[in-house]
Amino acid sequence: MRKKKALFIKNAIFSLITSLLLVFPFSCRPREIEIPEPPSDRHQPYNFVGRRGMVVAAHHLAAKAGLEMLKKGGNAIDAMVTTAFALNASEPFASGIGGGGFMIIYLASENRVTVVDFREKAPSRVPREIFNDEGRIKPDGLAVAVPSALAGWVYSLKKYGTKSLTDVTQEAIRIAENGFEVSQTFSRINKDQYEKILTNAGEGTCYLNKGFPYEPGDLFRNPELASTLKLIASKGIDEFYKGEIAQKVVKAVNEKGGVMDLKDLALYKPVEHPPLKGIYKDYTLFTIPPPSSGGVHMIQLLNIIENWPVRKWGRNSSPYIHHFCEALRFVFADRSRYLGDPDFIKIPVEELISKKYAKQIVSQIKPNSLLDVYPFGRFDERKNDQGNTSHVCVIDKKGNIVSLTHSINHFFGTGIVPENTGFLLNNIMYDFSDDPSSPNALGPYRRPLSSMGPLIMFKKDKPFLILGSPGGTRIFSSLTQIIINIIDFNMSLDEAIEAPRFFTYSSEGKARSISLESRFPEKTIETLKNMGHSIRIREAFDKYFGGSQGILILEDKKLILGGADSRRDGYGAGY
Amino acid sequence: MKKITLAALILLVLLILVIFPQERKESSSPLFEQPLLITSAGQNAEILMASVLAKRAGLDSKLSKIATPKDLVNIKTIVLVLGASSKGLGAAGLDMTKEKERVNLLIEEAQKKTVPLLCLHLGGEARRGPLSDELISAFLPFAKMAIVVKSGNKDGFLSGICEKHDIALVEVEKTADVLTPLKDAFK
Repeated sequence: MRKKKALFIKNAIFSLITSLLLVFPFSCRPREIEIPEPPSDRHQPYNFVGRRGMVVAAHHLAAKAGLEMLKKGGNAIDAMVTTAFALNASEPFASGIGGGGFMIIYLASENRVTVVDFREKAPSRVPREIFNDEGRIKPDGLAVAVPSALAGWVYSLKKYGTKSLTDVTQEAIRIAENGFEVSQTFSRINKDQYEKILTNAGEGTCYLNKGFPYEPGDLFRNPELASTLKLIASKGIDEFYKGEIAQKVVKAVNEKGGVMDLKDLALYKPVEHPPLKGIYKDYTLFTIPPPSSGGVHMIQLLNIIENWPVRKWGRNSSPYIHHFCEALRFVFADRSRYLGDPDFIKIPVEELISKKYAKQIVSQIKPNSLLDVYPFGRFDERKNDQGNTSHVCVIDKKGNIVSLTHSINHFFGTGIVPENTGFLLNNIMYDFSDDPSSPNALGPYRRPLSSMGPLIMFKKDKPFLILGSPGGTRIFSSLTQIIINIIDFNMSLDEAIEAPRFFTYSSEGKARSISLESRFPEKTIETLKNMGHSIRIREAFDKYFGGSQGILILEDKKLILGGADSRRDGYGAGY
Repeated sequence: MKKITLAALILLVLLILVIFPQERKESSSPLFEQPLLITSAGQNAEILMASVLAKRAGLDSKLSKIATPKDLVNIKTIVLVLGASSKGLGAAGLDMTKEKERVNLLIEEAQKKTVPLLCLHLGGEARRGPLSDELISAFLPFAKMAIVVKSGNKDGFLSGICEKHDIALVEVEKTADVLTPLKDAFK
């Protein structure tokens, strides 16, 4: 009897302890958030919500892949690399291992921001001239720069991540093998780029559906990419830069008239350096220095705009757009006069991002009319300039952050797919100037000037905003508009991202027309015309202006908000 | 008796209309002859899809993005791929006015030479909008037949024009499905 009683007590204590152990961890966890479903109208502003971590990317499968990595205990860098690989499978037309990019990382435990530059380089044997009279690079193989994305992702993974290459490629392999339904965005871009894909990848490529573009709802699978990623996961990135894949890349490029050597791939190394810093009102901005122009010009624009009462003028108002556009015209002249690869030229970065220089520009801008002449710069949009590239934002539960912008340049890059590899090669060489006297002139091993501007913004020394965007030379203009929408116009994150955008520049001292999304009020457009601006109306939500992704950290509410651009297929996954 | 005959006649006519309306429009007998010239109205990317389809259908075709009346030598059919692409127009150095002028001249010459027009709309919903609709309204009425991807005709815009101008219309689900009706349309 005593034994039975003792056993009963023992069992009861054991059950109690077990129950407590089971219940306790849950009671310690933050309350799960009830997240409303995204609205059926994809353009309606919607903030994704999280408390511990979040990934925002241009495809829902990629964002979810990154989130799963966070949930499995991976840090922000692990999740960023997972998402980047997953984007190669789910949004293959905008980024991937055939391209390159830039990332900015915040390491919470060290309170340090660092930049990893993995921009592509020109091959060593690049000819002096590759552009024809129409500004096109022919043959297409000459448009391929040395792919560098894999080197950049893996550099950051090894240095700051905690997971293996096998871990971070699993989801991408699964997506590539199982496939997914093609979206309206994918289908439309696939149709737009049909000629290039047909010419360079052929009728049998997985990037076409039995020789024709994919329709929305079609299943897109890429088993060859899955095999390539498995090979890289098992043999390491040397397989890509020195092994069988390297040989396939060189063969594919050179068969299409390019000049790439195995040595070009073997020599590629990403570089890490300190970020560029700017101050806007009470906020500190960290972004990337050259060879991207995005960071320099974003700070320059904010420095200029800080001098104007934009809040008083109001969003979408004609004075705001007029002044912003005039600033852009000065900035673009500077872009073509000073910016290029800092390994080869001296760039007056500090002068360009100084408040003093901003004031000089402000003093020249007229309040109600255009200037007769702007500083001389040769920049001009090319006929085939388009929205492209992709951006990823990640924050983990420890507060580590990554803001990554990467690209294969134009949608579907060159359309060249190395034999049986399933990935597209970039056409980043288009980012060089066709003017041999330009600071951005092409040359062996040079990195072409980019417009990317991944950023992390701090408010009182705490991370506040993570942001970045695709969109070619519109990137830094779009990012600046989003920052002003949030800080000056008090918009919520996604409201700021979805808000109508505009863009302009100057070329050879003359103002070019303002491109506006069609949602701007008629009255604003009329006033701008009366000021002397010529206007080009674009689609209501035009991916020409990019597809920005952002994360806003609300310290006081212990909330993380994600904003994903509906101009593309942006999605946020938080927990 | 007369009333019964009249009623029977009306019934017969109604029966024919009910049973054979599609057949009347979607005539399976060949309407066109080869060789054919493929061009677009609007410099869209679908012109290349038309070319791939023609190749797969074993048709003797020639593609010209900026075809002019000079290209009509020895041509027996024009295949006009409808839909405006701002990117395509820009790349070709054309605007809508110039593009409409080019296609107008081509059709005028084709009419003189009694070369029939087959219109395709392959871009679906994405290749609709003010510019595309302007071109469709301008040129589809000249067609003898139209083959369109269904999603581009959700609002009945293309079928409305076809009905009004008595143009045989074939709707297909996907671009690849154009192959059969295209093949059947040629001798």
